Amino acid sequence: MGILFDSLTFTYSDGLKPVIAGLSCCIAREEITVLTGASGCGKSTLLYLAAGLYPENAGKITGGRILIEEHDPASLDPPQRCRLTGMMFQNPELQFCMDTVRNEILFCLENISTPPDEMEDRLHASLSFCGIEDLEERTLLSLSGGEKQKAALACIVAISPEWLLLDEPFANIDDESARSIASSLEKLHREKGTGILAVDHRLDSWLGIADTVITMDEGKIIPERIDARHLDPERLESLGVIVPGRSYSPSIPAPVPGETVLEIRDLTVTRGKTELLHSVSASFRRGMIYAVLGESGAGKSTLFGALSGIFPYKGKVLLDGKDIRHLGHKETGRIGFITQNPQDQFVGGTVRDEILTSLRKNPDADAKSEEILRLIKLWRYRDISPYLLSQGQQRRLGTAALIAYDCHCLVCDEPTYAQDRKNTISIMDSLCREVRERNIAMIFSTHDRQLAADYADEILILEEGKLHAVTESSL
Amino acid sequence: MRSLNPACKFISLLAVTLLLAGLRDPWWNLSAFAVSMFLLLLSGVRLRSLLLYLIPVALAAAGMFFTGYRFTAEGNMPVRSDTFLLSGDSNLMNGITQLSRVLAYAGLGYLFALTTDRVFMIRSFQKQFHLPQVFAYGLLAAWGIFPHMALEYRRTRAAFRARGIRVFPISPALLAPLLVKSVRWSEELSIAMESKGFSQNAERTESTPVRVHTKDIVFTLLCCIMLPAAAFMTHSTI
Repeated sequence: MGILFDSLTFTYSDGLKPVIAGLSCCIAREEITVLTGASGCGKSTLLYLAAGLYPENAGKITGGRILIEEHDPASLDPPQRCRLTGMMFQNPELQFCMDTVRNEILFCLENISTPPDEMEDRLHASLSFCGIEDLEERTLLSLSGGEKQKAALACIVAISPEWLLLDEPFANIDDESARSIASSLEKLHREKGTGILAVDHRLDSWLGIADTVITMDEGKIIPERIDARHLDPERLESLGVIVPGRSYSPSIPAPVPGETVLEIRDLTVTRGKTELLHSVSASFRRGMIYAVLGESGAGKSTLFGALSGIFPYKGKVLLDGKDIRHLGHKETGRIGFITQNPQDQFVGGTVRDEILTSLRKNPDADAKSEEILRLIKLWRYRDISPYLLSQGQQRRLGTAALIAYDCHCLVCDEPTYAQDRKNTISIMDSLCREVRERNIAMIFSTHDRQLAADYADEILILEEGKLHAVTESSL
Repeated sequence: MRSLNPACKFISLLAVTLLLAGLRDPWWNLSAFAVSMFLLLLSGVRLRSLLLYLIPVALAAAGMFFTGYRFTAEGNMPVRSDTFLLSGDSNLMNGITQLSRVLAYAGLGYLFALTTDRVFMIRSFQKQFHLPQVFAYGLLAAWGIFPHMALEYRRTRAAFRARGIRVFPISPALLAPLLVKSVRWSEELSIAMESKGFSQNAERTESTPVRVHTKDIVFTLLCCIMLPAAAFMTHSTI
């Protein structure tokens, strides 16, 4: 009993290379299994196939089969299928259809035709299981990322599927929330016997609860199964996995601090009646790299959003001594902004347009754009829409496009979000080298303390609406 | 008002709106507005919020008053004062008629919008109007996306600024990324709903069945039959 992938081959479109290529594997329900591997190797696709969401919503199975507890998930109706597999998604924003936590759980129970007189009991049992009784009447919009993931888990607990499939559930939340959710997952597995298969690049939150780690490479499962209690860090690193406590070994030149390029004075951001940032002050110098750490909801994205003009603020932000609210037309873009989701940055119709937009003042733009696209290995995709690239490719394009523009300060909101170890190193190395060579400042946010320790010259922590400098040893 | 069945409330208020559209009596309009305000306050809507909501209405009403006051139909115009909107009685009366219409429609609109829970409304429409469930829950899911749209719009503008491009607030260049995101979001939401067992054809149970009670029938009868009857008796033309 478990999940069986039998010689499975899956492609997104006829004529394209299969994403899953003759994959065979059996996953036991008695174990918590983490599936890991490099970005774009087909992990999430495999999970969507196991959940029966593919091929119904995308792609085509061209060979083999999947059986979950001896059922083909794709042949079942959604109400039957969700009793077999529950799915928790990476993006907590886009997995709810109702307005409050209570209504969302009731929506799930109605879908599986739960008798109305049982609904209240199951609703409260699921809230209590996830420790979120106090969130019952809260609107989903008002919840933090961690709370949303707990609400999503409560929905799954209410449905009580035989298997729980998780697609990088901790990618958008802080370590503490991740640990709390991980312990609820372990409880779900041990007490209710729910099988758990999770896809993740980072193993931090799974250590101590996972039983087995399996890895994928280019659409196939690597035969060796790794006991999660006896991990071989070097072997995992070679497979693209981010291993806790292992240095990224950055290869960037040493810092040469220059003059102050960006200064924040008493920056306060309020949303509604809540003060998200309170009188934040800091200064950033040319040639330096700054990491901003902080719990989920601490205000990192709000700070970066204020710097990029997304959120209104009180106080002053000075770029080269000039208030950024009064920058002239020619100075637009002096602060480059790399967003968590690369799609938020795209402004061009094709991959090449994306680079050309940044190079439009360069007389040699055509040749330079070709050079950049060849360097980031996207030249062959130059005429397609950037939205059609894989997530890793989109991230590379977004970063290259911003770097190509003549900015004085780069603000990067989780630039390595959902990237494997190899891509993380590649993105950070290229960003940091540009910072040194062009003598600009870079401020990046991350949940990965190791990344901050390895790449940042100064580390700042955002706590209770204030920004504090910390030393690497105190992390 | 909050506990009334939304489908019955919708039909009733629509009937009153249509009735007022056929009348040329500012006192009926002003009465509808006054009753709407009274019911809103009785339903727990805060006076301060209500006054804020009424600011744009007051502006529109003032605009309509001056339009009606200034542009009264002449005797030789094809639109006769006793059969349509424009009154020949006096400029002032014509202005008040236009003003009162704006107030009445806004009052009735707010009465529905501010006293109706959206989930309750969709469930009621699904049950009483036989709205397809895929459409009903699709609407609810789309509702959840709206607050994100404003943020996405600001993000897209910031992306252009970060490349040194200034775009106008309604620039077509902003539309392409926003459209792509909307499609992506709707796909993700649809997959998430499916993973939670939602199907457009499958039978579902209801946690709180939306029923039509006696008070809903009484309210509907009052608005759809008694009020028009009263209007008929007091006016020779409807």
